[in-house]
Amino acid sequence: MSAVLLVGTGQVGVRAARQLVDTPGLERLWVAARSEDRASAMVGALGDRASVLSGARVGVPALPEGTTAVAVAVPDPEAHRWVRAALEAAVPVATVVDCGFGPLGDEARSRRIPLVTGCGLGPGLTDVLARHAAADLDEVDAVHVARVGAAGPACVEATRDARKEPTGEWRDGGWCPVPSGGPELLWFPEPIEARECRLVHDGVEAGAAAVPAARLVTSRLGVPPTTGRLRRGFGRDPKDCGWGAARVEVTGRRAGATRSVVYGVVDRTAVVSGAVLAVAALGLAGDATVGLAAPTGRHRLGAVTDPVPFLAELARRGITAAAFEGVAPR
Amino acid sequence: MRNLGGVKNLRRGLLVAGMALLAGVVVRAKGRPAAVPASGGWRPLEGPDLR
Repeated sequence: MSAVLLVGTGQVGVRAARQLVDTPGLERLWVAARSEDRASAMVGALGDRASVLSGARVGVPALPEGTTAVAVAVPDPEAHRWVRAALEAAVPVATVVDCGFGPLGDEARSRRIPLVTGCGLGPGLTDVLARHAAADLDEVDAVHVARVGAAGPACVEATRDARKEPTGEWRDGGWCPVPSGGPELLWFPEPIEARECRLVHDGVEAGAAAVPAARLVTSRLGVPPTTGRLRRGFGRDPKDCGWGAARVEVTGRRAGATRSVVYGVVDRTAVVSGAVLAVAALGLAGDATVGLAAPTGRHRLGAVTDPVPFLAELARRGITAAAFEGVAPR
Repeated sequence: MRNLGGVKNLRRGLLVAGMALLAGVVVRAKGRPAAVPASGGWRPLEGPDLR
C-alpha cells in the first residue's frame, strides 16, 4: 500500500489529488499548501483517505510518517523546498518543475533517492510520446516538440518567460543557440488545430533525454493565454480558457525509408499535467504497472518511463493521445 | 492665435494616429497566415499502439 504527499492546491494540484485519491491502491493522501484553508477545503472534497499536512510553511518541512512518494505541483522556489524535504526524508519525489535541479540532483544521487522532474504536459507527456514515437523507427534523426496552453497563472507566467529567453536547439549532443526566425504555424489535434509557436529553450533537454539518439531536438511554445483584466476580453479564443495541446514529431528511418511519426494530445492542460504527475508519483510509490522505473538520482520523466504502460494508464484515466496519419503539415 | 495653433496641431496628431491605426489593422489582417489544410487526420492511440 502506498501513501503520497501532494504539495500544491493550484490547478494542477487539484487534478493530481483527484487522480491520486481515485487510485484503488492508495492508502493515504496528504495535502500540503501555503494556504491551509484551501488545503482543508480540498481535502474535504476528497474523502476519508485524504488529510492536510499542517505547519509546513517555512524551512524544510518534515514529511508524515509512512510517506512512500511526494508529488510536487507548485512552481519555484517552493518546488525546490519540497524536493529538498523529500530527499532529507529519503522519499522518492516527482515534480512538474524541470529546471534548476543541479545541486538537488547531486544530493538525490548521493542519498540514493529517485527524483523525477518535468512531470507535466510538456516537459513530461511530450517526452513520453517522443520516446514512444522513436520506438517506431529504426534510426532517429530529429525530435520536434511543441505545446500550447497553460494550466494556471504560474504556468502562464512560466510560458511567457520561456518565450522571452534566448532561442536555440539541441544539436549533436549539446545546446546550440540559433535565431528564433519568428513564429511557425504548427498543427495540433482538434479542436486546437493550427497555432503559431516560437522556438524556445524550455523542454529541449527533456526531449534530448527521452530520445538520446536524436541528433536534433527542438522545442516550441505557443502564445500563452491572456490574463490581464483589460486584454482577456478582446480577441480571446474560447479554447484558451484552460485548453492545451502538445505535438511531437520524430523523424528518422524505418526499413531504409525516411519516416515521420507525429503524436499529439489535447485536453485541459491542468487535467493532463495533474494526471501525469499523479501517475508518476504512483510509479515512484511502487506501482509497477505504470511503467516508471526511476533509478536513484535526478531524471526527467521521458528518460525513465516505458511509454506503453504509462500511456495505457493515462488512457485508463481519460487522457488519450492521438497519432497523425497523412502528410504531416508543419 | 496660440490657442488656434494648438488645435491645429492636435488635429494633425489625431490624423496621424488614425492613419497609423488604419495601417496597423491592414498589416495585421494581411499578415495573418492562411491556414494550410492538413492532408490527413488524427486518430486516438489505442489498442495495438499501446502493446
